[in-house]
Amino acid sequence: PVNAQDTITWKVQSHWPGASSSYKDSLGRLQKELDERTDGRLKLELYESGSLFKPTETFNAVSRGILEMGTISPAYAQDKISLAGVASGLPLAFHTPAEAAYFHMNMGFEEMLQEEAAEHNVYWATDKVYPTEMVVKNPIKSVEDLKKLKIRSSGALEKFLDEAGASTTYISGAELYSALDSGIVDGAHWGAAQGAYSMSLYEVAKYHVKPALNVAGTDAIIVSQKALDKLPKEMQATVKDALRDQFWFRTNEYQHKEKVTLQKAIDEEGVEINQLPQDVQDHMMEAAQVIWDEEAERSENAQKAVNMVKDYLKQLGRL
Amino acid sequence: MRALTAFMTGITRLNELLGRWFSYLVMVMFLLLITGVAFRYLLERPLSWTGELTQLLFGIYGLMAGGYLLAHNGHVNVDLVYSKFSRRNRAFLDLFTSLLFFLFTLSLLYFAVDMAWESFSNRETSYSSWNPPIWPVKAFIPLATLLLILQGVVKLLQDIAIAFNLSYYQPEPEVEEHPEDMA
Amino acid sequence: MSIELLTLLFFGSLLFFLVLGLPLAFVLGGVSVIFLYFTWGFDSFYLVASQIWSTMGSFTLVAIPLFVFMAMILERTGVARDLYRMMHLWFGGVRGGLAIGTLVICAIFAAMVGISGAAVVAMGTIALPAMLERGYDKKMVLGVINTGGGWGVLIPPSILMILYALITGVSVGKMFAAGILPGIMLMVLTSAYVLIRCYLQPHLAPDLPKEERGTWPEKFAALRSVLLPILVVFMVLGSIIGGITTPTEAAAMGVLGALLSAAVYRALNIELIRDASVRTFKLTGMIMWILFAAHAFSAAYQSMGAQPMIEEILMSLPGGPWAIILFMMLIVFLLGMVLDPVGIMLITLPVFTPIVASLGFDPIWFGILFVINMEIGYMTPPFGFNLFYLKGVVPPGITMSDIYRSVVPFVLIQIVGIGCLMVFPEIATYLPDLLF
Ligand code: NA
Ligand code: NA
Repeated sequence: PVNAQDTITWKVQSHWPGASSSYKDSLGRLQKELDERTDGRLKLELYESGSLFKPTETFNAVSRGILEMGTISPAYAQDKISLAGVASGLPLAFHTPAEAAYFHMNMGFEEMLQEEAAEHNVYWATDKVYPTEMVVKNPIKSVEDLKKLKIRSSGALEKFLDEAGASTTYISGAELYSALDSGIVDGAHWGAAQGAYSMSLYEVAKYHVKPALNVAGTDAIIVSQKALDKLPKEMQATVKDALRDQFWFRTNEYQHKEKVTLQKAIDEEGVEINQLPQDVQDHMMEAAQVIWDEEAERSENAQKAVNMVKDYLKQLGRL
Repeated sequence: MRALTAFMTGITRLNELLGRWFSYLVMVMFLLLITGVAFRYLLERPLSWTGELTQLLFGIYGLMAGGYLLAHNGHVNVDLVYSKFSRRNRAFLDLFTSLLFFLFTLSLLYFAVDMAWESFSNRETSYSSWNPPIWPVKAFIPLATLLLILQGVVKLLQDIAIAFNLSYYQPEPEVEEHPEDMA
Repeated sequence: MSIELLTLLFFGSLLFFLVLGLPLAFVLGGVSVIFLYFTWGFDSFYLVASQIWSTMGSFTLVAIPLFVFMAMILERTGVARDLYRMMHLWFGGVRGGLAIGTLVICAIFAAMVGISGAAVVAMGTIALPAMLERGYDKKMVLGVINTGGGWGVLIPPSILMILYALITGVSVGKMFAAGILPGIMLMVLTSAYVLIRCYLQPHLAPDLPKEERGTWPEKFAALRSVLLPILVVFMVLGSIIGGITTPTEAAAMGVLGALLSAAVYRALNIELIRDASVRTFKLTGMIMWILFAAHAFSAAYQSMGAQPMIEEILMSLPGGPWAIILFMMLIVFLLGMVLDPVGIMLITLPVFTPIVASLGFDPIWFGILFVINMEIGYMTPPFGFNLFYLKGVVPPGITMSDIYRSVVPFVLIQIVGIGCLMVFPEIATYLPDLLF
């Protein structure tokens, strides 16, 4: 442990580019909060996406204690965290951020994640829960439309969309805009409205699809346990408190900004909402459940988490 | 001394052979991408694995060139001052700068082994919809680094021989590059 | 130790070991390791291995071996030779005509690729021997290829513009549109320089003696040689514009076109494939190892606190908005001499962007200035990818110092280009305002 008077500096690798709203709203906020709550004794030194480690390498660096803190998408730690798939979102499970937040914080899912992460000397704190939504060039009006789509996707959602009959293809973020523009793909998801807006996707794809493909804890803050242990006891508690407050604050704020951004896209770019017809939603829900069951097979923990989701949805009368 | 010469020839031949084989990967990458385009555009059924496999092969392709290039003196350097020295003095210089070479490659080897081992013990996969194992590709980082280091040792032995006029290595007569290399 | 002193030592040791003749990749890697050890500790070497793994996963780099392979095939089959023979017959009377032709081909190439190096290798392989054979001055030829090759990142599509958009939050489409006119402007400026210089000093680019210029039937017969190159261009550009492929996949279409051309020339055989493969392997491998180490190098510099330093320097700067913009350009220019463009963007843009916005400048316009400056970075010594690509393809008689010296006037022209954009911002902003 260090002296109570010493100033401690943590290197923090973000997985958000500097222009992303979350860089300032999440990390910038946390930096300020910790500075205030520790009377300036804990400083965060922020690094934008890719400047020290690429997003997919950040978990390893934090786990080794090379970095004291980082932000990731759970998908980048899938080989270590068997719950990562559930954390980054079972397709079509939750309808609102409030539902997902309840699952994380009140039903014990966040603690399950923290236990798995602890095995890798990482303290896990979900930054926020928010939806992932698709933008498409032409509206989806029927199951046939869906099956004709070529979608840029990644990770578990790619499997889900495949299962639902669409064709998915992976295109790097750098080529996504051009690919949508020239029609190599007809749709893509990059976060939801704010993500699509930041990538200029609304310039080339005018339909914003609702409902969300998933609502989940797609952004997480990870802290090196080694770094945390080095802090004085009361400062450790301060960090954990700040991270928990961060979740509620950011989940709320993000939801608000989603609505504002989508409205801006509608007003400025002429974007239209493409509400999927019920039969398309039903069709996709069947595919979704196949993915849930696949996800459950990953570990005992994953099985338990998927069952928790199912029980919860039954309570809500949706299964 | 004969063992030394045999070691040097052996390593150089190994890198040469591997380089020749791995150079054909460019054809494989080309065919994979074309297949991917054909399936997506002509048959309207994109394949999820062609792009990803191309990417994985590309990484291996770049890595494996390391030792091969060193054997061919193909890693680009700045020859402004360097080329003005005599061969013997260049050998002395190279002996000095090889410190930096080994510092870089040995620390890379250490952490690359670590990284590949971690990936192997987790049986890491890419978690894309194709989801191939990743550890074999990561294993190429230490492998290629090792080949580079071995070739670096050969180069070191050559430089020692030139610098101190030892008989186990006879340098070829002074030419910048083999003419067929630039044809 | 202060970051200012670290910066001096860091780049000082880079230059020191470069001059001693150690290959670049090992200089970058070795210097990174030493400095990481003293500033961050032994464990941080993991960063080097990790950066290699990340570089291997960069999809946009896949285009490099493919475009290089395409160029190697075209050169070997005689397609390129015939193309230059045709250009010489038609434009042989104009001093520097082949250089202008090369610049035009570079611009077309730039519209096919989003990166810088591919065109340099392609033209270094195809155009360089053709022009040297016809008595062109080597520095003129090297400079032309170096400059033209860099347009790949200014004329859309462009990976650097996409990265700029990602970091700063501007529209990708607007950036692309904004790059077109400045690209044309640079082409005009460079061509004008070549023409004037060759007019004044004929020995730099001798014209073809009258008796060798060929008869009209000969000239028209030679025109056939453009068909296959046009086919290749059509396959690449057509598949990008037509929504058939991504720019990276389009590189594979280029290879297909080159193989078809080889077949037409009855030169498609296993030897061709083998030779082209080996040469592609050497060039790509050379660049990949430099990139592996360069990415570790910029990350190491970043970790020492490069960003706060630049922020501090800018804050302490006296003078008005224009002085700040000029100073930013100077910083980027200096960094461009020693760092790779992606690293520079990651270090400087987060600092620059908010300042540029607060001074009331158009971020799109600034982005174009920035990208041209990156282009200059590709060709300024000692560290510039275009230089290394060229070194990889030139005949043994041409040394690195020839290449280094050749870029001077061409760098000045690009700086003039930046100046024009500062005086007439409309060159960059006209098209995006019109289209969006
Ligand atoms: Na381009
Ligand atoms: Na440079």
